[in-house]
Amino acid sequence: MSRSEWRDHDWRLIHAAPQPPLLHMALDEALLTEVGAGRRPPTLRLWEWAAPAVVIGRFQSLRNEVDGEAARRHGIEVVRRISGGGAMFIEPGNTITYSVYAPLSMVEGLSFQESYALMDAWVLEALRELGIEAWYQPLNDIASAAGKIGGAAQTRRGGALLHHVTMAYDIDAAKMLDVLRIGREKLSDKGTASAAKRVDPLRSQTGLPRAAVVERMLDTFRRLHGLADDSLREEEQVQAQALVKDKFGTDAWIADVP
Amino acid sequence: MHGEYKMPGGKLVVMDLALRDGRLADVRLSGDFFLEPDTALPAIDAALEGRPVASDDATLAAAVEAALPAGTMMYGISVEAILVALRRALHEGAHA
Repeated sequence: MSRSEWRDHDWRLIHAAPQPPLLHMALDEALLTEVGAGRRPPTLRLWEWAAPAVVIGRFQSLRNEVDGEAARRHGIEVVRRISGGGAMFIEPGNTITYSVYAPLSMVEGLSFQESYALMDAWVLEALRELGIEAWYQPLNDIASAAGKIGGAAQTRRGGALLHHVTMAYDIDAAKMLDVLRIGREKLSDKGTASAAKRVDPLRSQTGLPRAAVVERMLDTFRRLHGLADDSLREEEQVQAQALVKDKFGTDAWIADVP
Repeated sequence: MHGEYKMPGGKLVVMDLALRDGRLADVRLSGDFFLEPDTALPAIDAALEGRPVASDDATLAAAVEAALPAGTMMYGISVEAILVALRRALHEGAHA
């Protein structure tokens, strides 16, 4: 078995100024491709959001998931990401989102569940250090006794795995339920009647500002796995901008599953 | 017609379709599941498109299995779950 470990890799951090939702979608594809091709070292990217958004999963129906009229009314852009999983409701100050672009060698021979658990472990440790007892809840949630904290999604491309996570720092549940169509069937085995109750934000559990939570997360990653500051390269930005124009910003992509 | 099935221990599997001349039409699978490669999704839709509505589950399952790209990986979804969502959509349609 030749599975590699976190410390076998030279981890880089990208934590750029706030970027628009479509560019985030494109950066995930561009950076996954670069890591998969061996042109970029394995990377952790911490997202900062420039605008509110609903991010739907690769296989979700646009019409079934999003109330388009409500989204327009609230000025919320709807974008589609490259990974499966469910819709995320994003407001810039309320959300902590990050991507791990890892070599596939790290998950060689692992089941999907083991792969999610492996990629979530450092953030569970960071949450523990912040006083939150959280765990990986299969298939793809990060949960605490007070409720769901976040959700993960993975996809693979070339030689790399993308594992990205959105956690709720705070949440406007009324607005979320206005924009997302969360069906009864989806909640049928969650043991709760209220979708709003499903998410318990980090703000109430830590009492810390969002930036402090992010800083603590990065500290934990750095201590456990090593992490050197890095930035987007010119060609990566060009590639991502092209992907916005030719793919992520097109109706063909956003309504690919209408 | 629209059918949804939350696979136990899995994700939401949704089927939207119409019936034309006794055959499945405009078949569209969706949901918050994980599927690699992503081209498996249109392959599944195409495998069901045009099948007689009277087809049994074994026939439809075999058609879907045969259409999946080599090495397709499913997480939170299965061929069985797709057929449950399909049956629910057809059942709902029958009462519409």
